Amino acid sequence: MPLEHFRIDDRLVHGQVVVGWGQPLQLRFIVLVDDGVASNDWERELYRMGTPPEMELLVETVDSAVARMPEFTARTDAGMLLTADVATMGRLTAAAPAIRDVTIGGLHHRPGRAACLSYVYLSDDEAAGLGAIAARGVRIAAQDLPASSPMPLDDLLRERGA
Amino acid sequence: MTSPTLPLGTRIAILARLFTLQGSYNYETMIGNGIAFAMEPALRLLPGGATGAAYREAMARESRYFNCHPYFAGIAVGALARAELSLEAPDRIERFRTASCGPLGSVGDRLVWAAWLPLCSLIALVAFGLGLGAPLVVIGFLALYNAGHLALRIWGLHAGWRDGLAVAHALGAPIFRTGPAHLTRAAAFAAGLGFPLAIGTAAGVTPTGVLIIGGIGALGALLLALLHGRVAGWRAAIGLLAVAAAIAVVVR
Repeated sequence: MPLEHFRIDDRLVHGQVVVGWGQPLQLRFIVLVDDGVASNDWERELYRMGTPPEMELLVETVDSAVARMPEFTARTDAGMLLTADVATMGRLTAAAPAIRDVTIGGLHHRPGRAACLSYVYLSDDEAAGLGAIAARGVRIAAQDLPASSPMPLDDLLRERGA
Repeated sequence: MTSPTLPLGTRIAILARLFTLQGSYNYETMIGNGIAFAMEPALRLLPGGATGAAYREAMARESRYFNCHPYFAGIAVGALARAELSLEAPDRIERFRTASCGPLGSVGDRLVWAAWLPLCSLIALVAFGLGLGAPLVVIGFLALYNAGHLALRIWGLHAGWRDGLAVAHALGAPIFRTGPAHLTRAAAFAAGLGFPLAIGTAAGVTPTGVLIIGGIGALGALLLALLHGRVAGWRAAIGLLAVAAAIAVVVR
């Protein structure tokens, strides 16, 4: 199973990713896409230390991730691509049509964001950004762990409005 | 700028407050409030003391959303306290807070929830299977588990304060990188040994029977440890069922 999991999660590499998803899916590589992390040595090092030795961590900018997408999707081992925010995933999906499904794994409370689920809070801009991604034909759902039920974007936005 | 110091009394106060972290959990800021509460004794050392603007700004900053494994929060608290007392730029502190959540959660989940806790539970099962009384099994489990737990909390605060924002290399220690794999292998061994022993003890099998069951269990444990990571769990379980069914047919 190649790179099939595209996840928005403001914690990037963390327990739910490496244990919750990593073990059942037998993930062997993680592509972390974040312009800020990619340009900062100690942040890269921190995320590398949070990644188990049996998983390869590739830290990319949006541009380099788009350029290397054919290489990532051609791999035969299982991988997951992570972005910390909706805007970054929006840029990726606009430039990389290979992305057909996006999972929201965690966008936590911040001033200006409204609650949709206990682990998903969205601002107006982020809700609009997700709508724009979905308009490209990308399926979007919120799902923190493999065992939990995915909630489609429409339901998620309805929760936000409730 | 001279390197900040953390008096022993302040260190002990922070360590004690780290035990309250999980009580601060909520869906909005997760353990952010607890991080600020734990760090507060150190922030009193900022210029202007507990009534100064620097203290108030730092408390507000450190109360925001933060989440990581609770036993590893000491690393973040130590590192952030050092950064605050070194008067690091707020945006640099904010970036560290954001970047450290995931790795401190990842390392903690792999080491504690997925390895140390199961191993300690299964060692307790082995102890029960060997005939230790229930109270001693419980006390032994709590002592063993919390030895690791307390060591992590104490080491974490020390390492965080020592290394500050450069604490990443401390997470590269072998116990965090390859330790979980060794612990889960040991847990697989303890599972193979513990279950038959415990079943034998609970069913009141004779000492000789317990030894035979223990021997079979040890072989099973060795097999499980050898197969760890090579065979999917469901395949191993189906194989085990097939062997059990074959034995049942032969014995019958």
